[in-house]
Amino acid sequence: MNKFRSAKSNGRGLSRRGFLIGAASGGFVMAFSRASVLLPSQTPASAIADNDYEPNIWFRLQPDGIIVVHIIRAEMGQHVGTSLARILADELEADWNQVRIEHVDTDPKWGEMSTGGSWSVWQTFPIFSRAGAAGRIALIEEGARLLGVPAASCQARNSQVLGGGRSISYAEIVQRGDLTRSYSAEQMAQLPIKPPSERRLIGIDTDAIDIPDKTDGQAIYGIDAEIEGMVHASPRIPPTRQGSTVVSVDDSQAKKQVKGYLRSIVLEDPSNTVPGWVVVCADSTWAAMQAARLVDVQWSNDDTAAVSEIDLQEHARQLIADPEQGARVVADAGVEDAFASATSTLERSYSTASVLHFQLEPVNALALQKDGRWEIHTGNQWQTLILPTLAVALGVEQTSIIMRTYLLGGGFGRRLTGDYAVPAALAAKALGRPVKLTLTREDDAHFDPFRSPSVQRVMMAFDNAGKVQAMQHDAAAGWPLLANAGPDQMPKSSDGKPYDPFAVAGADHWYNVGAHRVRCIQNDLANRAFRPGWLRSVGPGWTNFALESFMDEAAHQLQQDPVQFRLGMLDASGKNAGSAPNAVGGASRQAAVLRRLAEISGWGGELPAGTGMGIATSFGQERDMPTWVACAAQVKVDRDSGQVRVEKLWAVADAGTIVHPDGALAQMEGATYWGLSMALHEGTRFENGRVRDSNLNSYTPLRMTDAVPLQIEFMPSTEVPVGLGEPATTVVAPAIANAIFAASGARVRQLPIRPDAVLQALKESAAG
Amino acid sequence: MLKRIMIVLLGMATLAVIGIFALAYRPAIGPVAVPAASSFAPGLIARGQQLAGAGYCATCHTRRGGEPYAGGLPFPTPFGTMYSTNITPDPVTGIGQWSEEAFRRAMHQGVARDGSHLFPTFPYQHFNLITDEDISALYAFIMTRKPVVAEARKSDIPFPLNVRALQAGWKLLNFREGQYGPVDGKDAQWNRGAYLAEGLGHCSACHSPRNKLGAEKSGDQRYAGAEIDHWYAPPLTAANPAAVPWTPDELYQYLREGATPLHGVATDVMSDVIQKGLSELPDQDIRALATYFADRMGTSGASIDRDVINGELAKANLAQHSPQRDGGQALYLAACSSCHYNNDAGPQLQRPELGINTAITADDPTTLLRVILQGVSVDQGLPGVMMPGFGHSMSDAQVAQLAAWLRSSRSDRPAWPDLEQRVTRLRKDLAASER
Amino acid sequence: MSQFLLNGREVSVADDQTPLLWAIRDELKLKGTKFGCGIGMCGACTVHLNGRAIRSCITPVGAVAGQAVTTIEGLSPDGQHPLQKAWVAAQAPQCGYCQSGQIMQAANLLQDFPNPSDQDIDAVMSGNLCRCMTYGRIREAIHLAARELQGQSATAGNAGHPDEGQRHE
Ligand code: FES
Ligand code: FES
Repeated sequence: MNKFRSAKSNGRGLSRRGFLIGAASGGFVMAFSRASVLLPSQTPASAIADNDYEPNIWFRLQPDGIIVVHIIRAEMGQHVGTSLARILADELEADWNQVRIEHVDTDPKWGEMSTGGSWSVWQTFPIFSRAGAAGRIALIEEGARLLGVPAASCQARNSQVLGGGRSISYAEIVQRGDLTRSYSAEQMAQLPIKPPSERRLIGIDTDAIDIPDKTDGQAIYGIDAEIEGMVHASPRIPPTRQGSTVVSVDDSQAKKQVKGYLRSIVLEDPSNTVPGWVVVCADSTWAAMQAARLVDVQWSNDDTAAVSEIDLQEHARQLIADPEQGARVVADAGVEDAFASATSTLERSYSTASVLHFQLEPVNALALQKDGRWEIHTGNQWQTLILPTLAVALGVEQTSIIMRTYLLGGGFGRRLTGDYAVPAALAAKALGRPVKLTLTREDDAHFDPFRSPSVQRVMMAFDNAGKVQAMQHDAAAGWPLLANAGPDQMPKSSDGKPYDPFAVAGADHWYNVGAHRVRCIQNDLANRAFRPGWLRSVGPGWTNFALESFMDEAAHQLQQDPVQFRLGMLDASGKNAGSAPNAVGGASRQAAVLRRLAEISGWGGELPAGTGMGIATSFGQERDMPTWVACAAQVKVDRDSGQVRVEKLWAVADAGTIVHPDGALAQMEGATYWGLSMALHEGTRFENGRVRDSNLNSYTPLRMTDAVPLQIEFMPSTEVPVGLGEPATTVVAPAIANAIFAASGARVRQLPIRPDAVLQALKESAAG
Repeated sequence: MLKRIMIVLLGMATLAVIGIFALAYRPAIGPVAVPAASSFAPGLIARGQQLAGAGYCATCHTRRGGEPYAGGLPFPTPFGTMYSTNITPDPVTGIGQWSEEAFRRAMHQGVARDGSHLFPTFPYQHFNLITDEDISALYAFIMTRKPVVAEARKSDIPFPLNVRALQAGWKLLNFREGQYGPVDGKDAQWNRGAYLAEGLGHCSACHSPRNKLGAEKSGDQRYAGAEIDHWYAPPLTAANPAAVPWTPDELYQYLREGATPLHGVATDVMSDVIQKGLSELPDQDIRALATYFADRMGTSGASIDRDVINGELAKANLAQHSPQRDGGQALYLAACSSCHYNNDAGPQLQRPELGINTAITADDPTTLLRVILQGVSVDQGLPGVMMPGFGHSMSDAQVAQLAAWLRSSRSDRPAWPDLEQRVTRLRKDLAASER
Repeated sequence: MSQFLLNGREVSVADDQTPLLWAIRDELKLKGTKFGCGIGMCGACTVHLNGRAIRSCITPVGAVAGQAVTTIEGLSPDGQHPLQKAWVAAQAPQCGYCQSGQIMQAANLLQDFPNPSDQDIDAVMSGNLCRCMTYGRIREAIHLAARELQGQSATAGNAGHPDEGQRHE
């Protein structure tokens, strides 16, 4: 099973594990055991002493009643610890005020560590529910014994067991009782999980645990990490991401002009993560940055130093034109026939430009060797992905490397790629001292595994009644999984070709369109010229722009209302009927979301001239974990300047059970604004081997003044909770593009949407 | 024949040189022992201190970070860089051996104690207006400063311009001697202002353009505004482009405090003039200066129209709020708006309002560009308030974009030509003058 | 060598050319002030100089010699400045990285515009980038804090402010 799959399914297999509770360090540890039952020779305490439990999901009950929940997910703004601990505490009937969270360092014992894909709550919910329930049962049994009443007459509330008119606190049970228990997998499966109506924390708002420290300067991020005796470093980044080698280094100016300059190291990197890097060391961050500017490095570069965005897009167009290219990710029979016999067809192409992560904290890492082990202090989203690379780079066993956890000053997928830890580690190795590497903003941009530009072609065939008979969607872009995890991690399509699911998700939609074909095409030039990365919402960020813009164009060609046109295809039949546990209801839920959106946004109402409304809908990231979402945009187009003013955005989501409503809302707000930012404000271009924009003097993400009114609503649901960090991002740009068309007749098919493109499209629409 | 002509020409040239030198000749005035501080009446010293303030003696005769009055401040001129001299009473490197007579001759005639001619960077062509009593007070003040040993720095003015005797010729062309006499038909306050401004204050030395020989232009070019020392000193005539008139009250507040909400802050030299010089003068002298200049600018009776201000503010804020931004507008929002925005309650003193700022309406963009590049330090303009420089944050093209956008969104004046090249040149010049 | 007051404490920094940001973080060990862009255009490094917000990444230490600098750690003795309380009440931070700078800039905003409109907030706060895009909540928190401060001040009375529906149910 590849990493992508194992990351996704992490924890799910644990439902076949037993559960054990044993005394440890004054309190009790509650954990899933490695096996479905304990061996006859084992007691829960001995199993815990032997670390014979699944450590990635456990918690501790202290004699003072404090409940410490271990969190393996990175905190990057989603308040993940709060959400996850709420799941457990609810089932445990814990007093929320006594719950603490602990973000843990990497250790093989934690298993897969990854935070991305909007997976955290979805993956953790069933496990933490069971763990909490097992703990609750044990506490009730033991509390009943201490109270001298039958367990059946007792219940737990607020960290207390109540029965026979009396009560005993969890703290007292820990102090006086013996909670030691073990449950087999079968017993675990029988444990009563509370019905949604009995939930006391899930679905109820609370203040996020991580927030106060983020208002008074106490929160510690990777960039704040310090260790006695460390050296500061700043890199000289080569002109290309993968095709440069160092020819010469002249540091005489740095020596002369920068006090505190130490030396420049040409990195030898067996993992080939940072080819062509020179790391400049000094005794302070500023000195290192100053010195790096003055170190004169000559490189020899391969042909990618001449590659630009237009080359990438042109290459993508050629690939799309070749029917042999790409993996058929959706491969219904009869596509050719349907097009051949169609009464009418529609074919459109769309493109999206490169987008930077621009997480506000530039990437950084502190590396050191201590007691024969390597420590990497940094913020990271996918520790398990980078540890093997670090092991290769350092020439050591993976087990001798540990990543210490810090807060992330923004993730957005940037820190799924842990590449920035490698140069810090290599420099520390070369120097024999701890090295703290901090990238300048410009370096961060040039080293960014940014969102690949894309080109897509979408086609539809209609019969003489205007019914959709077939559809084809060809998506060409750089492949992030291939770039960052390697070819052996790629799944295969039904026609046996490897493909990158991240680069095509979203095109495999829930509309019934007759014969459906989706091709996932690797833009190999992109993969050579840079490292395509995962950026908030990844593939659906571009596939859904094409898909939902196209749906609007198709509706207009058929002279149908765009909402009704979509609803007609979201009939939840056949392969789009949905299935348990994650996609119960299938496309009917997407249809419900779309209907609700139309209602709250006043879809179909009168608007002033020059103003228009557009909609778009999607299912988030992946078919097997759909978050149903839809967005409406109301925009005003200035026909003279081509400027687009978004007046309001509406979004509706069905993400199943909402664990932490205010946190979920915050994620939707951020995701919606991200969508707006990528639609109208940001976006760069690849130019001669690197991105053109590297700082805020030319890169222009959304700012306060652009934060238009939002109206966001969640569908009430007790279904399986799914992800929220990304889905809304994918529906904003197409909603805006469709609204621009409604307002002005201008059809824009590129992201970002610039005023000159609107002017051009206005001209074309006037020309008919 | 040819030979004879040559001889005659040569002879004439020789005569001319001799003539110049004869004309140039001034006797040395004998050295005196450094006068004791006790030889001056305390009241006289105190008055001298005010006057030294009015003449910003310290501003020119102190280099950044140096001892007061010990000289060394560079003056970039079209002819080369000169340095101010040490005027502390140190007997060897300063003016400790100068008698009051020698001091007066220097002030009134531009001749040093040893009889050599001073360059007109020293504005004796203004100081000659100063009364003898005021000279005495100044002498008393200067001679009671702490003596500092500091050799004068040599200028890099090339030969033959560096021949001091040639200054006599310059004087012949550009200098008229004579003390200030009250102008008829003007009241005492006006005359006091004029005496301070034209004499000690030598305001026109910066605010008037200069001719090829480096002399201030006269007639309607007087006070017409000039680029000086990589700044632009705006016109102090009716041609001043301020969107809001410089009423006597506005002028007073500006000269007293270094800033007004409607006209922004003084920077660099002008800031020093106000904070380190004029601050010594009593309020009524500042009023007198305001009266005089309001008259020059034709704004004596002007009133401030709130509608104009609000209109400019609204225009500025509208420009800021267009839904999609690029270039200068995007830069402004990221870098400038936090500190410069004002709402319709009117401009606030600590938020210099660029919608009505002379730096943006001026014919010459130098001041705006320089402030963008270098910022304004805590000791300039409003005391304690600082603007960081954005020189390292923006490329030449970006600085030019920002300036062009400010100009077009906040004034009706024509675009500045060649902005980007100007930024490039200004950067070079500033870097050179730092060395 | 420059001396200045940092949160009321006398400090000195050796090199005048070092940006205040790096002096505060690396030498004076206060980590609440953040590095985002280094060119004065994100606001993450915002501190107060004599009570006014400045971008410390482009301010050399020499420029603040003899002056008073306040960082997020010194905004209030116990982290309970009305803005900090409002930030928690509105649950404004996501990753939190920009928020020190946001709060320092907002403190200055409220001095100059005690009862700010959305337009005032947008114009002053747009220099502070929040990549998590918590803008709606920051706006709300500023209105909350303004109301509290107005209530505290003697001239309370028009504390109410139209929220203009920036937030949603
Ligand atoms: S780090 Fe100073 S403004 Fe961005
Ligand atoms: S909260 Fe993450 S950048 Fe603002």
